[in-house]
Amino acid sequence: MRLAVDTGGTFTDLMVEYDSGSLQMFKSSTTPDDPIEGILNAVKKAADHMGVALNDFLGRVDVFIHGTTHAINAVITENTAKTAFLTTKGHKDILVFREGGRIEPFNFNVPFPKPYIPRALTFEISERISSQGKILDSLDEDALVETIQQLKEKKIEAVGVCLLWSVVNPEHEIKVAQLLDEHLPGIPYTLSHVLNPILREYRRASSTCMDASLKPMMSKYLGGLSNRLEENGFIGRLLMLTSKGGVMEMKELSAAPIHSIGSGPSMAPIAGQYFAKVDANAKTAIVADTGGTTYDLSLVRRGAIPMTPETWIGEPTRGHIIGFPSVDVKSVGAGGGSIAWVDSGGLLHVGPQSAGAVPGPACYDKGGVHPTVTDACLVLGHIDPLYFLGGTMKLNLESSIKAIEKDICQPLNLSRLEAASAILKLATENMVSAIEEVTIHQGIDPRSAVLVGAGGAAGLNTVAIAKRLGCSTVIIPEAGATFSAQGALISDLHTDYRAMLYTSSDNFDYQKVNKTLDQLILKCKTFIEGPGAGSKESNIQLFAEARYKGQIWEIDVPLKVKNFQGSEDIQAFRNDFDRAHEELFTFSDLQSELQFVGWRATAQCKLSTVGMGRLNNKKTGQKRAISSRQAYFSDTGLTQTQVAMFDQLLPGQKIKGPAIIESPFTTVVIDPGASVIRKESGSLVITP
Amino acid sequence: MNEKRSNKIDPITLAILNKRFDTITTKMANTLLRTGRSGVLNMARDFSTSIITQDCQLLTGAESLPIHCLSGADIMAKTMKEMHPTLRKGDAFLHNSPYHGCSHPADHTILVPVIDEDGVHHFTVWVKVHQADCGNSQPTTYSGDASDLYNEGALIFPAVKIQDDYEDNMDIIRMCEMRIRVPEQWRGDYLATMGAARVGEREILEMAREFGWETLHVFATQWLDYSENLMIDAIKKLPVGQAIVSSIHDPVPGTPPQGVKITSNVVIDKENALIKVDLSDNPDTMPCGLNLSEACARTGVMIGIFNSIKDNVPTNAGSFRRIQIKIRGGSITGGGKHPTSMSVATTNLADRVTNTVQRAFSQIQDGLGLAECGPDGTAAGSVISGIDSRFKEEMYVNQIFMVFTGGAATAKTDAWFTICHPGNAGMSCIDSVELDELHFPLIVKDRHIVCDTEGSGRQIGAPSAFCEFGPIGDHPMTASWVADGAKNKAKGTRGGHDGSQNRNYIRKEDGSLETQPACATIQVKSGERLVTYTCGGGGYGHPWERSIKQIKNDVIEGYVSLERAKEVYGVILDKNGKIDQQSTKLRRRELAKPLNFKN
Repeated sequence: MRLAVDTGGTFTDLMVEYDSGSLQMFKSSTTPDDPIEGILNAVKKAADHMGVALNDFLGRVDVFIHGTTHAINAVITENTAKTAFLTTKGHKDILVFREGGRIEPFNFNVPFPKPYIPRALTFEISERISSQGKILDSLDEDALVETIQQLKEKKIEAVGVCLLWSVVNPEHEIKVAQLLDEHLPGIPYTLSHVLNPILREYRRASSTCMDASLKPMMSKYLGGLSNRLEENGFIGRLLMLTSKGGVMEMKELSAAPIHSIGSGPSMAPIAGQYFAKVDANAKTAIVADTGGTTYDLSLVRRGAIPMTPETWIGEPTRGHIIGFPSVDVKSVGAGGGSIAWVDSGGLLHVGPQSAGAVPGPACYDKGGVHPTVTDACLVLGHIDPLYFLGGTMKLNLESSIKAIEKDICQPLNLSRLEAASAILKLATENMVSAIEEVTIHQGIDPRSAVLVGAGGAAGLNTVAIAKRLGCSTVIIPEAGATFSAQGALISDLHTDYRAMLYTSSDNFDYQKVNKTLDQLILKCKTFIEGPGAGSKESNIQLFAEARYKGQIWEIDVPLKVKNFQGSEDIQAFRNDFDRAHEELFTFSDLQSELQFVGWRATAQCKLSTVGMGRLNNKKTGQKRAISSRQAYFSDTGLTQTQVAMFDQLLPGQKIKGPAIIESPFTTVVIDPGASVIRKESGSLVITP
Repeated sequence: MNEKRSNKIDPITLAILNKRFDTITTKMANTLLRTGRSGVLNMARDFSTSIITQDCQLLTGAESLPIHCLSGADIMAKTMKEMHPTLRKGDAFLHNSPYHGCSHPADHTILVPVIDEDGVHHFTVWVKVHQADCGNSQPTTYSGDASDLYNEGALIFPAVKIQDDYEDNMDIIRMCEMRIRVPEQWRGDYLATMGAARVGEREILEMAREFGWETLHVFATQWLDYSENLMIDAIKKLPVGQAIVSSIHDPVPGTPPQGVKITSNVVIDKENALIKVDLSDNPDTMPCGLNLSEACARTGVMIGIFNSIKDNVPTNAGSFRRIQIKIRGGSITGGGKHPTSMSVATTNLADRVTNTVQRAFSQIQDGLGLAECGPDGTAAGSVISGIDSRFKEEMYVNQIFMVFTGGAATAKTDAWFTICHPGNAGMSCIDSVELDELHFPLIVKDRHIVCDTEGSGRQIGAPSAFCEFGPIGDHPMTASWVADGAKNKAKGTRGGHDGSQNRNYIRKEDGSLETQPACATIQVKSGERLVTYTCGGGGYGHPWERSIKQIKNDVIEGYVSLERAKEVYGVILDKNGKIDQQSTKLRRRELAKPLNFKN
């Protein structure tokens, strides 16, 4: 039996994969003071459901996969450890200058961002290495020991070390580590060349300091989790989700906790890719995860999970860059809780403000007075006020009406239904434009992709979005509301290693490159034989980070060979590079030489080769008598609309829109003119 | 004007069409960003994309460097229509003439008229890109010392038809290739620019099929009215007032030795919901490259205004209706005629114009406007060139963006440190030390913020950054720059102090510093290094009004020394950050005294 637990802001989702392959979902409230409590509560629910004691239940679990927002929350709320930053003399302001850049040129209300580590806790180390790895100034060890003494006096809890060019010659960072071990034992530190050996000091320093600052808290949390699971009978393997869309051994993550940042959203494309293939035999998919406040988008192209080197916590240029390639998920402020408002010029807006979970939409009656997308759907009859979350939460239609009338109908002189319909339409338009930006930016025509809608609020307008985009197929997976936990069950054990070595196609250093690649392969093999032992399948993939001469940014292109024997190998790589460049940027430049900056290897170990099981949650759904109700659509007006229960639709069963399909977790609106069919996998496949 | 614009479209369609038009300009910008070749495009993001209505009004534009994209599109589109009364589908025009609405000759702009099946012109899409080279007599696009256009040497294209039926006019392409340095790079950027414009054209045609041209035109009219209404609202929230503010640009070859004094007379006319800026009281054009094009003079004013009002007003022809700018014919601020050189119109004097306008707002009422931003153009942003002995003795030439600061304090917040210069608004990127050391045979010894250089005030202006770099290997390195702000600092406002000035030196091998001029092309020998202090920005409000909590943080973070905290801010604290409340109260009272007497 395998478990996947995703601790979110509001709920802790548990997905159980029984040995039979069938799945079952359990939810409990997240307990922010002690998140482990929430996890154990969810597991207890599963044990109760099975009718066995917790000890007995956990004893049968082979693999426990966990994703948590613990790390990212700590960064956002600035509750990380008191961390010092050690860097090369003369460069103490790496985290202050960052890489420049700004958004919203006329907005002077946003202050200049504070550095991730305060300047007061930044210390310069007298040393310097050149871009070619030569030691220009040797490390002043005496001065460093004095600095370490200061760290002790300041009661530093963690240390990030990022020296210039440590990625070419790590000697000085290694020496710093030795002196830290000797003079500051027990205080965790992160070395930049070990954690993230990339060019560009700001990115490397940012990931190094962020990682160090998470170490005390995350090792305590993960240690606690593993202890308490063991106390309750768990003897299996504890794996952690990462921002790279895979899993890592808990111990390994504990040593580099930055990898858990963004792990939740990274699972959506993994699951989306799976359903696109199973339900529509498609390799290109737009995966859209609609939550209460954000709309998370990712694009699966030709079966590959998209990665990006530009992941920020907070807004670009205002927040902090993670500095690692991570699964490319674009998040826009649009969701069920997005607030509709009319500005002083009489223009309707939806978002970016959100009512969040508290106070929430007006219909929650928890103090929210502004109309949200959820309120609009309620007024339109798309959501049943008595069957929200399976009836566990009653919604107040009157409150929605009041909010819409006051904020939208009056200033715009619209009827209640027209106003609600306008809100939904504009929310749809916001999401469409976000998708267009993601797809066009990567040279994909959205019409050629299938749209996978996940998340509790996806069903409300995913069909409308697809229609606007011209997508021919929409997939709503059965367990869309716990997509991340589901993705976790099919993700692989992975790791990646990087090395920096600069060379160019007209002066290629075969010897050094091949030596670098050999070392990377060796590291991967050690991983496969170590943590990866016993996996079903494994593979190693090498990449070069290269660019056309004079360009500024590299792209990652997979290597087809394990080493470079001669000019044919370079030419073959070159062809792949040109093709990749053309695909990403619409052109290639056959005349320019290539510059190689970095090398990367990934090792992937498949933990499960069987597909995803079916969801078995019959007990959670209620039988309902309703079979139709009035709902408003802009094309047909108020229309008597068929209502069906998600789990009662049989595989192959077809329904024509207008229709509304409900489950305790979500509501799916099938617009007039669209049709839906239930698939063997449990998904709904809709033709808009 | 089209006559049938009386029927209104509903607010939902208005909101949706606005989103659609915005998406188009963003798509155009993305196309450009991912296909552009030169660093000035990729790193400095020196380009803009926008859509212009049938009657030549700026409708919408993507977020970009502000100096690029406010005023000028209208004049450029008008020029295109006047010079080419019959526009055909498939036409495209190359335009960079500062005498016909363009900012400066380095900004090559492609205009594509969007024409329907019946040959009717409906919109114009517009893409402007700063070139790495534009054929000047010297290898730079910023010829500060050019005595006139002939001396500057730029190729000028006053809305020249470069495509006919979607095909390039190869004569013009070949002329450019013969005259512009690194022609492959120019051609690459040209293709990217044209590609972006054609994306915009295609998208608008598609939208017209869905909504009909009439709806799009009604939208344009209503959208501009809506933007005007937001602007009226924003102005109605301002106080009535007037301020005349001056700011002096440092002298360069071709200007009087005391420099160039720029004056703006700013009036907030609340009753008529207008902001009036009179630039008449400025000198005549001068035999140098600083003269402002009309587009840059107007845009410089508008940046100062939009920096100072509520930030949700769309920047288009609708909101611009509430701005009246007076330019005197023959003046250095936008009144120059051919062949006056306007080579550096987008930065130096334009920045001084913006500074005077935003500071005028602060003079009218506390809580409005900003202090002055520091100008850029230091040695840390030089064009560097030389021989790279690490790689086959290859020649290199490129502009670096090693560091810049300059942000002005605003009425409500401390400065955004890395603003670069007012027309840039901080949109450009700063180089990575490692990337520069990999690309060029140089070493960056030091790059940090200098303590006690902030523009003191209730809100502080950006401090100076210090930067020291030099060549490695046997060969020297040539560096050239045109700086402002060495003599005339960025001014503080409402009691805020001025920002620190720009300083450039060469550090000799013996460690001594040799002062360098503001505008220079010099050789840095092997073993020597260039040393720069960047311009800081001005402070806003009296320093002793700054909150004690903020001062404490400034001291702990090493931006302000204990002595300066006491002397300038009147806050007395020890090195652990413990405040001496009693002495602080006394000291602050003492600092405020001269002012109280005055009143």
